[in-house]
Amino acid sequence: MTASTTEIAFQSSQINGMNVHILPTEKFKTTTIVTMIEQALSEEHVTKTALLAMVMKRASARFPETKRLRAHLDFLYGAIFDVDVMKKGERQILQIYMEVPNEKYLSNEASLLEQAIEFVGDMLVRPYVQDNAFSEKYLAQEKETLRKRMESLIDDKMKYANQRVTEEMCKGEPFSLLVQGRVADLPKITGQELYQYFKEVTTTNPINMFVVGDVEQQEVSEAIRKHIPLERSQVGELQIASTAKEASAEREVIDRLDVNQAKLNIGCRTQITYKDDDYPTLLLFNGILGGFPHSKLFVNVREKESLAYYAVSRLESHKGILMIMSGIDVSKYQRAVEIIKQQLDLMRQGTISDEEMSQTRATLSNQFRELLDSARGMIEFTYNGVVSGRPRKIEELLAGINEATIEDIKKVASKVTIDTIYLLRDKKGEA
Amino acid sequence: MQTTVFDQVNETVYHETLQNGLQVYLVPKQGFSKTYAVFTTRYGSIDSHFRTRSGEEINVPDGIAHFLEHKMFEKKDRDVMHEFSKNGASCNAFTSFNRTAYLFSCTDKLDDNLNLLLDYVQDPYFTDASVEKEKGIIGQEITMYDDNPDWKVYMNLLKAMYQKYPINIEIAGTIETISHITKEYLYQCYETFYHPANMLLLVVGSFEPEAMMKLIRENQGAKEFPPAPQITRVFPEEPSAPAEAKVEAFLTVGLPKCMIGIKEKENGLTKEALLKRELTTKLVLDIAFGTSSAVYERLYDSELITESFDFDYSSEQDYAYTIIGGDTPDPERLVETIKSEMEQLKQNGIAQDDFERAKRKKIGNFLRSLNSVEFIANQFTSFKFNGNDLFSVVPTLESITREDVEKRLKEHFLTEQMAVSIVRSASPQE
Repeated sequence: MTASTTEIAFQSSQINGMNVHILPTEKFKTTTIVTMIEQALSEEHVTKTALLAMVMKRASARFPETKRLRAHLDFLYGAIFDVDVMKKGERQILQIYMEVPNEKYLSNEASLLEQAIEFVGDMLVRPYVQDNAFSEKYLAQEKETLRKRMESLIDDKMKYANQRVTEEMCKGEPFSLLVQGRVADLPKITGQELYQYFKEVTTTNPINMFVVGDVEQQEVSEAIRKHIPLERSQVGELQIASTAKEASAEREVIDRLDVNQAKLNIGCRTQITYKDDDYPTLLLFNGILGGFPHSKLFVNVREKESLAYYAVSRLESHKGILMIMSGIDVSKYQRAVEIIKQQLDLMRQGTISDEEMSQTRATLSNQFRELLDSARGMIEFTYNGVVSGRPRKIEELLAGINEATIEDIKKVASKVTIDTIYLLRDKKGEA
Repeated sequence: MQTTVFDQVNETVYHETLQNGLQVYLVPKQGFSKTYAVFTTRYGSIDSHFRTRSGEEINVPDGIAHFLEHKMFEKKDRDVMHEFSKNGASCNAFTSFNRTAYLFSCTDKLDDNLNLLLDYVQDPYFTDASVEKEKGIIGQEITMYDDNPDWKVYMNLLKAMYQKYPINIEIAGTIETISHITKEYLYQCYETFYHPANMLLLVVGSFEPEAMMKLIRENQGAKEFPPAPQITRVFPEEPSAPAEAKVEAFLTVGLPKCMIGIKEKENGLTKEALLKRELTTKLVLDIAFGTSSAVYERLYDSELITESFDFDYSSEQDYAYTIIGGDTPDPERLVETIKSEMEQLKQNGIAQDDFERAKRKKIGNFLRSLNSVEFIANQFTSFKFNGNDLFSVVPTLESITREDVEKRLKEHFLTEQMAVSIVRSASPQE
């Protein structure tokens, strides 16, 4: 049996002005190709980037009709293709995702990989354009789809609460923006303007392309060189907003909506991001506090007090925000906040058992090693290193986690401050 | 130990039925770091009316299978989740209509974790106090689902389709039904449904199969079990017609949610026939409503659907149904349009091209899902419970003809078998 690898080993090079990272592995039955275009998160760009993602995936010069474009993807054995946006700290990333089966599992198929790379090239280099503009029809439809997507945020109350607390907490910072942008920006974006924007980002913004699968580096590089001839100029320095911000005095925000369960979100500033030396300690801090079923929040809010089904904490690693989330009965609001604050106090005092330390180290280690079994996971991990400017190996991160002491955690804990306590509750009852 | 090699997908399955009746399947994955194990009993939310070991016929409170799943984690002197955490494993469990599964994934200490999984699921410990405590936690889980419009529109559709068959009942029950759960009920359910002969263990990932089977054999050999009980489940007779044509509910949503259900008229298929029917129906759906279909294009262009539009076919021996739908500004018009498009398709028939393309897509998507040990573990078990092999999906797909698909289109997509569920904002009374 082949020994399993213990590290993510992309081979990186520059091709046509892009950073290309290739990882040959026999583990998967498909080849995954992910292209990341980086943009500064800003009011000026946020809606345009999101709309661009939607319009791009509708057509290309080769397939001007969406139905034909999708039929081609089906023909490539149901290739998975999507263009989407995501937030990484004060950055907005436009991601082109493509995944095709490896030919070796199909009879009589020779060039799926090359066809997939050609298809990605269609997106980046050969869009469907008329008179220097994206199609009016697709533009109008995708504005509508994007608007619906923004408005549907309210369907999922957990996500809605998370966005609302972020807006309140980060007022005035780009991070408060919804990654899909703002409804008010939509009407004024024209097909011409969006095409100009497309040319701008594909020419000057940083682009990283990742390929994972049972592939030859040489063959992939050549196909990229041939099918994705981007004309890149000097990659500009993005104006990324500073992530650091002192927590304001603790604030309480209450929203009311027609809900049965109240959502309690507590947003904390940690002053630590992915690139910092004490980031591994922050991971350990978060794991002990609320990352796992053995963590303080789960044990105390759920198991001991029976107040909630879920009580967790999550890190936004590129922004340095720690978010505590729980679903509770509104009558237990004060009690839940009190218990959560007690857990934060325990962290500050370093009241952490040996068992909590060892469990958290072991579960974090498992979490990172599991990434090795997922193409998407390996790409995401590596890209975090690229974006933050601090590439790390998994083993390096785990060593940091294993070496951190309770004293180190206390130091991190002293930087973690509550900024905003947010409650999404029903419309009944008193204020 | 039996070995089956599936050349086409390059997977090997090892199988053994242990002396106590437990079915064990092993699927080693070369080069993977992680191992995923799932221990499943054929017991879910629909099994609430049955004969106990002593022959007595009983009805237990709705939601008890799920409640039992929660309570398996608590032991006299320890909490199982903490034990898994010590080994760095991540553990979980879930309950569906017809099964309960306990699982973990790990990259280290596999032997310990596997023994732990087998031991905790085979060692129930329920007390009055711990049963009462769990009612608060599950109560919040139920309330969370009550606020979830996607879950609501789906559950309401099942209620609209099924008059009596208990998939029309919430898996977690209601706050009222779980209030009647006692430790005595839990033990009765446990003794009836958790015998090894009613269970299946599957391990997928990074391990050596001989050594793994030996470990499992030894773990089970060291325990004593009573003879396997004869399980008699009692189900009501389900009429073939849907219960209601339309159900509506109100929750705060951006756009209304609308799902159309098509209830299967005939049930009772097993094994290959069941699998073939499932895959054929899924092909019909993809040809008719997939993102590259003419219907999808028309619906999207007329803004009747959004990117949330989706469809699926669920299939078991005793029930099967299609679901089509998503967010829409105009549920009534969406339903009418889908009905008329379906009639149109029946008249026009299915083009060979569309059929071939849909088949290629399904084959590719299936290969892709085999990258995931989670997918393999969960799907493999479902397939086995229905007498099928997950890895024979590709040959079965290949055996389906365009004629099969057309026949299925006419047989399944019947207006009289349809029901509709809608969730929208603000009730008219407000």
